Amino acid sequence: MPQVATRFARLSSLFALTALTAATLLASAVMAQDTVKLDFVSVGRGAPLTADMNEYQVIGATRRRIPGSPPPAQGGPAPQFIGGAEPGKTPPGIEPLPIDLFTSKDFYKDRALWTDKRYFRCNAPAAIEDLWGGNGVGLIGDNPPTSAAWGDCARDYPREAIVSPYQFKTAQEHYDALLAETKKRGGPTQYTMATLPADWNGVYQHPGRNPRNQYWYRMRHLQMPTVLSLLTPEYQTRMVQEAYHNGNTNAAQWPSQYCWPEGFMRRWHEAAVWEHNIMVSPKMVQIMAGVARNFVTNIHIGREFNLDGAVPRLGQDVPRWYGETIGFWDGEALITWTSNIQGWKNHGAPEFSNKMQSIEIYTANRDASGKFLGLNHESIFYDPESLVEPVRIVRNFNKQGEFDEVDPLVFIECTQSIFPIDGRATPVSPGQTFEYTAPDMLGRPWAKIWEQFEQNMEKPKEKDIFSF
Amino acid sequence: MKAFAKLTTVAASTLALLSVATNTVQAHHSFAMYDMNSTTVMTGVVIRIDPAPNHLQIFFAPMTDDHKTVLRDAKGEPLSWAVEMGGSAQMARQGVSVNSFPPGTIFSMGLHPLRNGENAGTLEGGIFKCPERTPPPVGKHCDSVEGHVHIGNAPLAVAKKSEK
Repeated sequence: MPQVATRFARLSSLFALTALTAATLLASAVMAQDTVKLDFVSVGRGAPLTADMNEYQVIGATRRRIPGSPPPAQGGPAPQFIGGAEPGKTPPGIEPLPIDLFTSKDFYKDRALWTDKRYFRCNAPAAIEDLWGGNGVGLIGDNPPTSAAWGDCARDYPREAIVSPYQFKTAQEHYDALLAETKKRGGPTQYTMATLPADWNGVYQHPGRNPRNQYWYRMRHLQMPTVLSLLTPEYQTRMVQEAYHNGNTNAAQWPSQYCWPEGFMRRWHEAAVWEHNIMVSPKMVQIMAGVARNFVTNIHIGREFNLDGAVPRLGQDVPRWYGETIGFWDGEALITWTSNIQGWKNHGAPEFSNKMQSIEIYTANRDASGKFLGLNHESIFYDPESLVEPVRIVRNFNKQGEFDEVDPLVFIECTQSIFPIDGRATPVSPGQTFEYTAPDMLGRPWAKIWEQFEQNMEKPKEKDIFSF
Repeated sequence: MKAFAKLTTVAASTLALLSVATNTVQAHHSFAMYDMNSTTVMTGVVIRIDPAPNHLQIFFAPMTDDHKTVLRDAKGEPLSWAVEMGGSAQMARQGVSVNSFPPGTIFSMGLHPLRNGENAGTLEGGIFKCPERTPPPVGKHCDSVEGHVHIGNAPLAVAKKSEK
């Protein structure tokens, strides 16, 4: 709940922003989630989305405030149920499976059912982690976990709108093609301190808070089997393992609750980062953000990766939590490639491996008069270990103000006060003594905690690397 | 000003080279918990590398005397030891990284053990990596196996007991 309280507090502070921010919000209302409009057909950026997430409803199960109504605390109506069936009930016209995530004693054995959305009671990934109250909305019912609510089985976001529309097999191919295209167009653009697009400097609102800026990675608009269809078998197992312990055993392990690293993909999570501070210089563009940890993305302009190792990198052969990034400019588009990323997880979303790489394109959004509104952010992800094909996320950063107009960036030091005790995240008071098992931080520490709930399950056998 | 900058660069490079050559670590914590007068030489199998920026650690399971498997704890899990060394970037420069030492890698090294007898130590001397899935002969270490990789300039440490 402290995290929820903090979130609400921050949200309140957003609403209390200055008239300048309000004006910015007004301007942003016309910026629907979409790719940027280019005046040429690019080989690897700007392809239209095949489905606009803003036209889709969240799947649930969840409770949401009726749009436009005041909060219940201010006399507004109770939040509205969104989903297929309230706790303890079954949606009309849906035949439940004999066994599902909420009744199973061994999800590993149920693999054949994972492609059936009824196995998850049609709950979206983020909704599963909310069932026990992950975000303050509990829909697990009076006889948990078997009484868990249902999401809406008729809703889903199309897989075709998630996978990359480009034909590249690797990030390197993609980047090289964009660079070649830029060269053909007379680039890359070489900026000096005098010619930089200075209006990029400033503070941007969290994309998840921008009106009409939904994107699929928030995991509220798509069915579990749709997400699983993007993953390799091992990473399917990992995602269902998390869903099981979110929805069945109520043993959620969100890395930031323990002050563990956030990981690369958390940059796209709905709650991990708020305002983005962007600074532009000729040789580096820096993006800083963070809530529980600091996120720093240094985009090295004009540099090239060392291609000799396991993955492309800039520095030594050490995976970095947010990778290393190179980039170049094509006019007002900043085209970047990130590699050398430490594999990790984002709660409620798929795990990713050290092979994860991204191509990200930041392009200026301007209105008809040329006024700078913010940045379109198109990201394509390549991870042959976790993904069966590349995927894409498109969103918009709306500029909130200049550095001297809004609150300054806060550097974060996370001091741990919540620990896994008996497998569940538990706040611990100063002076309290408890038994603690040191986590294997690079060995899926969350999964080690879950193993204590899996004693009687038939887990897939791991390769024996200790016998010769 | 330029001369000063150049001098600083040379000094920094020399320091870095010396550091690599002698396995001296620029400490970010006290090493007083280790018995620097005692050296244990071990051959083990990598469980995990933690590439911490300040001090990389290899978590490993010591091999059994017959070199056919590893020592195990009461639950049957590989008995975990830890050896810490230089920072992850420094060690990667020498050839120790999560990519070059994946789980299952067999290697030999010397370490100064903890004074309290727990399963950890700090590196002493060179590291020798055996060829993949090729343990050394019984009674030997990876430095004796053809095709081994030698990390650092120092030879394999020699075991010695503290005189106290």
